[in-house]
Amino acid sequence: MKARKRVTTAGATGSRPARASDRPRRTPTVRTVRSAIVPVDRRPRPPIGGAPQSPGRAASAAEDRGPAVDLSVDLAPGRGGLRLENPVLVAAGTFGYGVEYGEVVDIQRIGAICSRGTTLQPRVGNAPPRVTETPAGLLSSVGLQNPGVEAVLERYAATWAGWRVPVIVNIAGGSIEDYVAVARRLDGVPGVAGIELNLSCPNVARGGLLFGIDREGAAAVTAAVRRATELPLMVKVSPNVADVRPIALAIEASGADVISAINTLPGMALGPDRTGPFLGTGYGGLSGPAIRPVALRIVHEVAQVVSIPIVAIGGVTELADVLDYLAAGAVAVQVGTAIFADPALPVRLADELAAECRRRDLASYRPLVGTALPRRPGAPSARGVEYRP
Amino acid sequence: MRLVAAELVQSREILPRQWLQSYHAPELATGTRAGQFVHVRTGDYSGLVLRRPFAVNTADAATGIVSIHFRSVGHGTEWLTRVRPGERLEMLGPLGRPFEIDPRNRHLLLVAGGLGMAGIRLLVDEALRDGRQVVLLFGAATTAEVYPSSLLPDEVEYVVATDDGSLGHRGLVTDLVPGYEAWADQAFACGPPTMLATLARLAASRGARLGVARLGRKRGGGRQPALGSPAARRRAFLQVAMEQTMGCAVGACLGCVVTGVEGPQRVCREGPVFAAEEIAWEPAG
Ligand SMILES: Cc1cc2nc3c(=O)[nH]c(=O)nc-3n(C[C@H](O)[C@H](O)[C@H](O)COP(=O)(O)O)c2cc1C
Ligand code: FES
Repeated sequence: MKARKRVTTAGATGSRPARASDRPRRTPTVRTVRSAIVPVDRRPRPPIGGAPQSPGRAASAAEDRGPAVDLSVDLAPGRGGLRLENPVLVAAGTFGYGVEYGEVVDIQRIGAICSRGTTLQPRVGNAPPRVTETPAGLLSSVGLQNPGVEAVLERYAATWAGWRVPVIVNIAGGSIEDYVAVARRLDGVPGVAGIELNLSCPNVARGGLLFGIDREGAAAVTAAVRRATELPLMVKVSPNVADVRPIALAIEASGADVISAINTLPGMALGPDRTGPFLGTGYGGLSGPAIRPVALRIVHEVAQVVSIPIVAIGGVTELADVLDYLAAGAVAVQVGTAIFADPALPVRLADELAAECRRRDLASYRPLVGTALPRRPGAPSARGVEYRP
Repeated sequence: MRLVAAELVQSREILPRQWLQSYHAPELATGTRAGQFVHVRTGDYSGLVLRRPFAVNTADAATGIVSIHFRSVGHGTEWLTRVRPGERLEMLGPLGRPFEIDPRNRHLLLVAGGLGMAGIRLLVDEALRDGRQVVLLFGAATTAEVYPSSLLPDEVEYVVATDDGSLGHRGLVTDLVPGYEAWADQAFACGPPTMLATLARLAASRGARLGVARLGRKRGGGRQPALGSPAARRRAFLQVAMEQTMGCAVGACLGCVVTGVEGPQRVCREGPVFAAEEIAWEPAG
């Protein structure tokens, strides 16, 4: 192929739109919503200096004018509170311990950070390779690699304590005793704002049955952790059940302050020569836009049976997704896989949500919650919003 | 590490399905060292959820141009071949840790297998700039896949091996290594895992074969630097640039690990360059 003539960069800067901006996008549920995926040539150029950037803030500079919108939410008002400045969190396992993205993201503007899954003892995790892209998704099997709760606190707790953004420590274990021991260790530690229970772990005492797909297991571990700590407690449900509602009810009855939904779905990808699986462990957890409809259905189901707040997780990539989850009854969302492509996304989504509220003349985003739930009189709706003090 | 808007200046297919693209990105061109990489955002985000990591192939501070070299193998790289000059992509970089040349070393042996050239190309420039002598061994399946010597500086001694013998040595590039072992002060490699494992075995036995096992002590003396530290890597005879599928590329997701002797190592953060002795190599077979 012939070499192309060189384009002088000064003249070409910003002259033509990138291809991506020319192609049609998924029709957003709310038509006037600006896509969260801003074509690169419309984004502000990052500053040359080394200061942490805040593309989200800059991208919405125009919309920042106008009356203030209250994006704050308290996820655990009954228990000392878990007050977030905005309802866009980052999901466990995708944002490390919060420090890794510090150079490129203004992390203090994130609603809350859910840490990597943390266990009592250190874990080396699964054999590589651990991640691969699938259609609109990511298949991963990290295997809860982490240095153990003691090392995590030693390395990060003091840093977290100095942050404005709350850090919710995601915990995992192979037995109820493990979970309880980790929760006890976190209890009262400055810098730890709350706990998220990852129930997608095999319960050794029940032959490896995942806590999250076993109503009794889920209830028992939630109740035990509840007794062990005064920290706000978020419990993360697994989508891999025929009916998530009895499990959600059991979690609520066992003392959880918040439910987060969902964790990944099991999936598989083959290696290039099709002689076996691609991932080192064989199967992995599917995340990303591919799982969004599943998550939306589960949030919608759970919202109709529990009265504690729900935090939606699964494939959030643009404002339309946030609005969908709010409408289905969630009071907040977590962004996971999409961060890998767009680290500034969570902060930008919060700004876009505020702009959307202003456009609709709303002083807070709460009227957006639960609008897609059935309107039967007396039916429990998005109660989460009513849990603000 | 920062998010940079990089404007495509030139894109060409230098070998069948292998592309060389130059981008205007002064922030990357000045700050990148050989071995480091960029994480490139593709456009079709609804379908392609991940960025794509590419080694920085050349970096020219004077013109602000960086280049990447890749094979069009999947949706992401195919999308990339359709980007037109003038369009801008978002790159996150520079990422990872670079090759560490011991400043005292004059003779550098570089070994690249196939696309591994992309990971080692910038080191050629770095080494020559500092006045070192470079022998570059390159292996490919056949002539059609041999990296054009016109894209290399004249000062480098370029030695080619092809599997089918259609150009240069017939066989594996690693067959050529023993011939340069005595000459080389230090070696650097990028390529398929089997090639790197073979090189690691050769490097481990090199001291004994050449009778230079005590070299390290004579030079450094005293305490050994911690495995994986820049100082330890500078002292290592062989450094390798590893590849792994990635999620975040900033060390957050633990998706990109390879198995090291001291446990999992993140290619995006502890790597992509490692001293050969840091890696738990698969036994030959
Ligand atoms: C690489 C990776 C690691 C994850 N690790 C954890 C974890 O340690 N604990 C947990 O509860 N969920 C973990 N998750 C699940 C996410 O928190 C989230 O529930 C899921 O990815 C769906 O959200 P998304 O589609 O926005 O990514 C992980 C997901 C990914 C992709
Ligand atoms: S790619 Fe996420 S830790 Fe390396």
